[in-house]
Amino acid sequence: MASFPRDAAVRLVLTRLALLGQELGKPALAQADEQTRLFGEASPLDSIGLVTLMADLEEDLYKATGRRVTIADERAMSRLTSPFRRVGLLADHIVEIVNAPAP
Amino acid sequence: MPIAIVTGSSRGLGRALAEALLAEGWTVHGFARSAQTWTHPHFHPHAVDVGDEAVVTAAVAAVLAASGRVDLLINNAGAASMNALLLTPAATAAALMRVNYLGAWHCLQAVGKAMVRQRAGLVVNLTTVAVPLALSGEAAYVASKAAVEALTKVAAAELQPQGVRVHAVGLGPVATDLTRAVGADKLAALNQRIGRPHGTSLAEAVDFIAQAWRSPAADTGSIRYLGSFS
Repeated sequence: MASFPRDAAVRLVLTRLALLGQELGKPALAQADEQTRLFGEASPLDSIGLVTLMADLEEDLYKATGRRVTIADERAMSRLTSPFRRVGLLADHIVEIVNAPAP
Repeated sequence: MPIAIVTGSSRGLGRALAEALLAEGWTVHGFARSAQTWTHPHFHPHAVDVGDEAVVTAAVAAVLAASGRVDLLINNAGAASMNALLLTPAATAAALMRVNYLGAWHCLQAVGKAMVRQRAGLVVNLTTVAVPLALSGEAAYVASKAAVEALTKVAAAELQPQGVRVHAVGLGPVATDLTRAVGADKLAALNQRIGRPHGTSLAEAVDFIAQAWRSPAADTGSIRYLGSFS
């Protein structure tokens, strides 16, 4: 299977953020970029929004790649720099798990 | 046609719950370790050990591929063991925790993600009156079900904003394989304590649990017990 490119991962996250922004009444999410914070005081998302984003993204990834992955896996949770800090870091993490050999 | 997953559906209460749902027009996916020999046009058996996260994840993915959504999850699969605390091997406590608590955890996590995406769903976790009674001789079982109750409350709080409700229902002894090995005098004493001297039939247990989907309450995080006790 061809590897899943990083720019596709970034697009996927930004598209989902924009949709979530519509649903949550936070239009600023439509303007998100790779530097947008995904949690913490500087983030437009609260913890519930972040959980919803991950659940939605896992389904988006399945539709895009045919692979079911768990974004919040052990690797993600044990990293010094959380992949959930910014959009760009999340895209990096997604590329890594989607392109990893199937267990 | 609404879609349900019932764990422990090969026999006893799980099978009775699945059959009640099927009679009400649901499509039911049944998870069980042992062979599910009974059939129904809208019943889909899956060989699942709920204590195995990878197996549960794969099974829920298969359900979603086949049915597209999950409206109801009943975490019924469970095991029991009666023994004095000081005589219970740690392996028994671990085994009960694996099936009763981690089994519910794995299913709730996998199905919960689908329900969050749907922004709707109902989860019913099975617990026991032995928790509020702090029943002697069932320390390992009671502890595993107390964990399920705690999980129910936290899950309800976390998932409520996305339209997912999580409840627990607790029963006394129900006439199934699980209670067959328990002495009649012990069962009678327990039934007396919960104000149900005649015990609880399978049909009564199903009707009590079914209130969760037949008369859905607006609240979430409730823990309701069948019986009265102080």
